[in-house]
Amino acid sequence: MKSLICIKQSNESGEMNLFDTHAIEEALKLKQKFENRGYQEDFSVDVVTIGPSENSKIIKRAFGMGADKGYHVITKERGYSFSFETASRLAAVAKKESYDLILTGIMSQDLMAGQTGPMLAEILNLPCVTGVVKTELAADNSSIKVEQEMENGFRNGLEIILPAVLTIQAGINTPRYPTLSRMLAAGKKEIMTFNETDLFSKKTGAVQAREIFVSMEDPQKTRAGHLLQGSLADKAKQLFTVLHGKALI
Amino acid sequence: MKQILVIAEMLDGVIQPATWEITAAAAKIKKLKESGQIKIIIPSDDPLPIAKETAKQTGMDVIGLKSNDLKDYDSDVYKQCLFKLVKTIDPSHILTAHTSQGRDFAPGLAISFNAASIACVNEIKKDDKGLLYSRSVLGNTKNMIVRPAEGIPVVLTLMPGVFQPDNFNNQKKGRVEICEIAFDPDCSNTRRIRHEKILQKSCENKTLKGAKIIVSAGRGIGKKENLDAIFKFAQCFSSSAVGVSRPLVDMGWIGYEHQVGITGAAVSPRLYIACGISGSSQHLAGMKDARFVVSINNNPDAPIFRHSDLCIVEDIDPFLQAFLKVVQTK
Repeated sequence: MKSLICIKQSNESGEMNLFDTHAIEEALKLKQKFENRGYQEDFSVDVVTIGPSENSKIIKRAFGMGADKGYHVITKERGYSFSFETASRLAAVAKKESYDLILTGIMSQDLMAGQTGPMLAEILNLPCVTGVVKTELAADNSSIKVEQEMENGFRNGLEIILPAVLTIQAGINTPRYPTLSRMLAAGKKEIMTFNETDLFSKKTGAVQAREIFVSMEDPQKTRAGHLLQGSLADKAKQLFTVLHGKALI
Repeated sequence: MKQILVIAEMLDGVIQPATWEITAAAAKIKKLKESGQIKIIIPSDDPLPIAKETAKQTGMDVIGLKSNDLKDYDSDVYKQCLFKLVKTIDPSHILTAHTSQGRDFAPGLAISFNAASIACVNEIKKDDKGLLYSRSVLGNTKNMIVRPAEGIPVVLTLMPGVFQPDNFNNQKKGRVEICEIAFDPDCSNTRRIRHEKILQKSCENKTLKGAKIIVSAGRGIGKKENLDAIFKFAQCFSSSAVGVSRPLVDMGWIGYEHQVGITGAAVSPRLYIACGISGSSQHLAGMKDARFVVSINNNPDAPIFRHSDLCIVEDIDPFLQAFLKVVQTK
């Protein structure tokens, strides 16, 4: 079994995207269960990220958690890249090996689009389930049972034929912390790097962006936003007065 | 004149209200573009009755996308059938709701249709170069304004609860067309995704739904033990309930039945007090209909303050204690 986990460094925190840590944890748990069943075959957990060279720190963190191989597509641009470009680059890396299972976080914390996983699946022509909150590999490893989060507390119980792409929702597990011994070993571990020209032939050329960033704006206020002033006790009194005046307390 | 397609949100064979929000967004696009024709697509195994009703109700043209495999949602079936239909129409825009279904199939549809894809759209505007789409980013502290690359169609998923449904012109009746499209699974004769069962995590969020006053806690309360203070605070009010933002449920601090937001309960109490909640767009979607909103947060830049009537910049615990003292003296 070969798994590939797509991870991203958050533009906000500089850390690994929270949902991606859940994706790595889920792969490591699947690996553990797989090995406990005593198969001869290995279960590998590889990670891939895209971004400037300093982003390799999140690959090291993934090694510290227990990941096997690390791939890094080095791009010059900092900041935001759109899902289509990301998914195209990830697909080019994923095609280099035949992965049975590809996991991503349900979305990035910074851009919150949740498109990379399903786009990657479509480019690779694989089935995809988004918002996964439970996984269980079938006994013959040919499929995986998952629960997909829907609205209003409902969950869809699905079985997907492998290879497949799953996007992982928070709450599915508690991501482990990297161990010290693994972190020390991670420093020496090789990360395989690619740049755009390694991934795309001259004929096809680099990925053409389909979305264009225009600007960042402050969201508009939807309510009055009256700010209470004064000491802590003053504010507590003012709140009581306002709520009492509205017959809410 | 290129068409603007609305893909209806279907659940158990019933058209969902989110569809009318997407239709309103489509009407806005048509108005800003000063061209285009809106068509509502209803994917179903038996779309005719729903299509007729929708055409009557909205006055818009409706296409019933018919396939036996469209009875329940399946991303492979949706993507393939929609792609086959959309290809023949060649629209400028494809709109759907940013729900668990919409965000599941729309990005893949955009790939096969070679379209731009913009998720979680919360506003549509234009400048001299064309239409612009706004989406909430960075924990709802900013809106990113995006435009599709020139000359390609765009797939949009729209944030639920943002676009107000229009009053439809039902003087005239829209036309109804049924398109039957067969789903064929890749090479083998089996589907790649098998549907086993629908599970319900909790059926009891009645407490939140009926509450007149909701006191909600977010990550900003610091630790699980501080939930006790939130419950105590809630007891100051009659007919109150305790809500929380998603991370608290994910961390296992409290049950799902308390979760407010897009994946939890949508509430509309007379008073909503947000304690230590930063205000993600997902949370706001669940509490925007509250009549009066008070927010307490030690971060003066927390996005929730933009969506509050009363803002209190304080640490939660000391503030709640101070408030309880005031209550005791009254």
